[in-house]
Amino acid sequence: MSIAAGRLAADSGEILRDGALASYRDPKGARRAGLVLVPQHDLLIGAATVADNLAFLDPAAPFFESSRSRRARVRRLAESYGLELGAAEARVDGLPVGTRQRIEIAGALAGDPDVLILDEPTAVLSPDETAALFASLRRRADAGAAVVLITHRLAEVFAGADRLTLLARGRSVRTCRTSETTPQEIGGLLLASAEIGERGNDFHPSKHAAQSAANAGTTSLELSGFAPKQARAVRAERISLSLSPGELLVLLAIDGNGADTIARAIAGLEPFSGRVEVGGTPLPPSGDPLAFRAAGGAFVPADRREEGLVAALSLAENLALPNPPGRVLLDRAAMRAHAEERLGAFGVRHASPAALAGSLSGGNQQKTVLARELARRPGVLVAVHPTRGLDLASAAAVTSRILDACRSGTAALVVTADPDEAQLFDAPLRVVYRGRLSAALSPGTPAAALGRLMAGLEG
Amino acid sequence: MSREPVVRRFAVAAAAFSAAAAALVGLALLAGTSPLDAVRALAEGAAGSRAALGETLTRATALVLTAVGASLAFRAGVLNIGLEGQFLAGAAAAAAVGPVLAGNPPAARAGILAAAALAGALWVLPAAYLEARRGVPEVLSTILLNLVAAAAVSGLVRGPLQDPGGDYPQSRALPDAVRLAPLAAGSRVTAAILVALALALLVTLLLAGTPFGLKMRATGLAPAAARAIGLPHARLRLLAFAASGALAGLAGGLEVLAVTGRLYDPFSAGAGYTGIAAALLGGSHPLAAASSAILFAALGAGSSAMQRDTGVPSALATIVPGVLVLAVLAARARLARRAA
Repeated sequence: MSIAAGRLAADSGEILRDGALASYRDPKGARRAGLVLVPQHDLLIGAATVADNLAFLDPAAPFFESSRSRRARVRRLAESYGLELGAAEARVDGLPVGTRQRIEIAGALAGDPDVLILDEPTAVLSPDETAALFASLRRRADAGAAVVLITHRLAEVFAGADRLTLLARGRSVRTCRTSETTPQEIGGLLLASAEIGERGNDFHPSKHAAQSAANAGTTSLELSGFAPKQARAVRAERISLSLSPGELLVLLAIDGNGADTIARAIAGLEPFSGRVEVGGTPLPPSGDPLAFRAAGGAFVPADRREEGLVAALSLAENLALPNPPGRVLLDRAAMRAHAEERLGAFGVRHASPAALAGSLSGGNQQKTVLARELARRPGVLVAVHPTRGLDLASAAAVTSRILDACRSGTAALVVTADPDEAQLFDAPLRVVYRGRLSAALSPGTPAAALGRLMAGLEG
Repeated sequence: MSREPVVRRFAVAAAAFSAAAAALVGLALLAGTSPLDAVRALAEGAAGSRAALGETLTRATALVLTAVGASLAFRAGVLNIGLEGQFLAGAAAAAAVGPVLAGNPPAARAGILAAAALAGALWVLPAAYLEARRGVPEVLSTILLNLVAAAAVSGLVRGPLQDPGGDYPQSRALPDAVRLAPLAAGSRVTAAILVALALALLVTLLLAGTPFGLKMRATGLAPAAARAIGLPHARLRLLAFAASGALAGLAGGLEVLAVTGRLYDPFSAGAGYTGIAAALLGGSHPLAAASSAILFAALGAGSSAMQRDTGVPSALATIVPGVLVLAVLAARARLARRAA
């Protein structure tokens, strides 16, 4: 799809549009010809405002435009597509990923494109926003445009699409009309082609309670009167909670409600007020990732490509960080052996430990991040959207690794925006809405009830 | 960078050298000489005799060190554009302590070079502080510190450091016993070039082969990831910045010790800036950057000879390194886009 939109060049083959050969040298050419790609990871300009970014994305925007007209565009797009776009004058780099993704989608829709390609657009949307997005996509399609939706969620395929093509490892497995098949059939094909094997289907988390009872009296993670201090984010209320060894808590929230900021502040990446103790050691409130790690913390960031891995270093080098082996010279043999052991244990599909981390698929990158973070047997694991954007098999593998770690005594705090993902962990849940935590919910809470809490309709 | 595929590297080099050769031929024609004669004069001036080779290597010393310093900083993600200022700080320190240090020459040399490296490292501190505490981009602050350093040198050689024996804007000369003697008769080249090349090797090893170097590269390639993974991000940056300044300062110290014997105004012919160009040409790889620095030095030495022998103005030949760097950057960007 990146090739069709002119972002990458094709190795072979050709692209036809309306029967004519279509090849765009760059995204601008594609956009001008009415073909727009909404990438999975937004490509907005961080230092510019929401209003400016939308003006850049709108092909109809005049060369000179007043800031009032730009602000009006933000309001118009937010209303007509039912997307929450944030304050028009806010800088984009201060906004959560979800809002940024919504801005990118709104920008794509602004030009009424003839061909619209969306890569995992709903990963960061609330159920309501997803419904609104699908309604506007349907309107575009009814108006004669072609809409291509790339997704891992079967429910969306059957809710929105006319036709589907199942791709596995770059090959087309099945193409048919959605009316000719069932979600069950496609789900079966999907799992079969992903060779879930190994331990992927192993979804029987032991009862964390048993583990924590054995360690009664000790605490791995203790928050008291804790609130992240981030100027541009939602004001969080003071939180107090504690996790014993082996305990897992899921924080469920739509992006922009402060759950990921809570996680980042615990990991030392944002300043906070109040008190955080990891394994009994208080952390400095100014935010210090080194102190968090020294106390036995591990962190899986939301953005694995920006914060999880160094894409331009090899897998072996990534797995050796932050403390590469060797006194004076690097011990390359030890690095390689460690990498092979870790990559094997986590089922990372890779060519060699010398392959660049950036060359892996998202699922394998995420497994690599986990392989590194869990190598030190952390006392506390903080994971933000650990399975976002992953295929079913990878998501299952990631989930079961986290559960394994809990079984061996790691306390885990998982932030997610996806009720389905939350329930995979079969652990107590708390919903975060506008910086406020709900009471603890049991793992069996129905998704519809969770959705209402996440949207602030209840609670 | 270090993983650039070999084929792509050759393509980049071929593109760049064609562009540079075309520029040279064009310039010779413009000046009304036969391009062949011009190239021959250039090559002979750069490496045609022992004296010519010595001239090239003498010019290369400072460039190799600033190029290696720039590469080290760039690889750690620090955009140190202030190598010129750090070079001048090192030269000024060498000129200040040199005449004072009497006694046995090896100790005096060590003292001069230590002072020069220290001065270069200290000259980055204002920029490093402003970046860490106030968020001022080091690109801007280091450029401004270059101007401060140039003005300071100008003031020093007319004030506190001025040679009491004359009216010229220059410092007292180092004693002949302390200055580095040429390695061979009939050539200006001294052991300074060996020091520079040894440091280029050392920095290569540091970056590619040590745990510290790996951490530094990770910081440069992905600052956000380095922070989240738990690397001492700020400390690594500061160390790279200071080491880069120390290398430039050392270049200044060696220039005084081996070439000029004193500080005067204006002192630098842009060694700091040419070092940055060489680092860009070498893809911030210390050895490639050092080779580029030697190439630039050869072009410099050769073009003086070319002017003498064929009348092609040597200033025109300074266009060639510029064309070379631009061609390499353009070719790399184009190939990277195609391969992505």
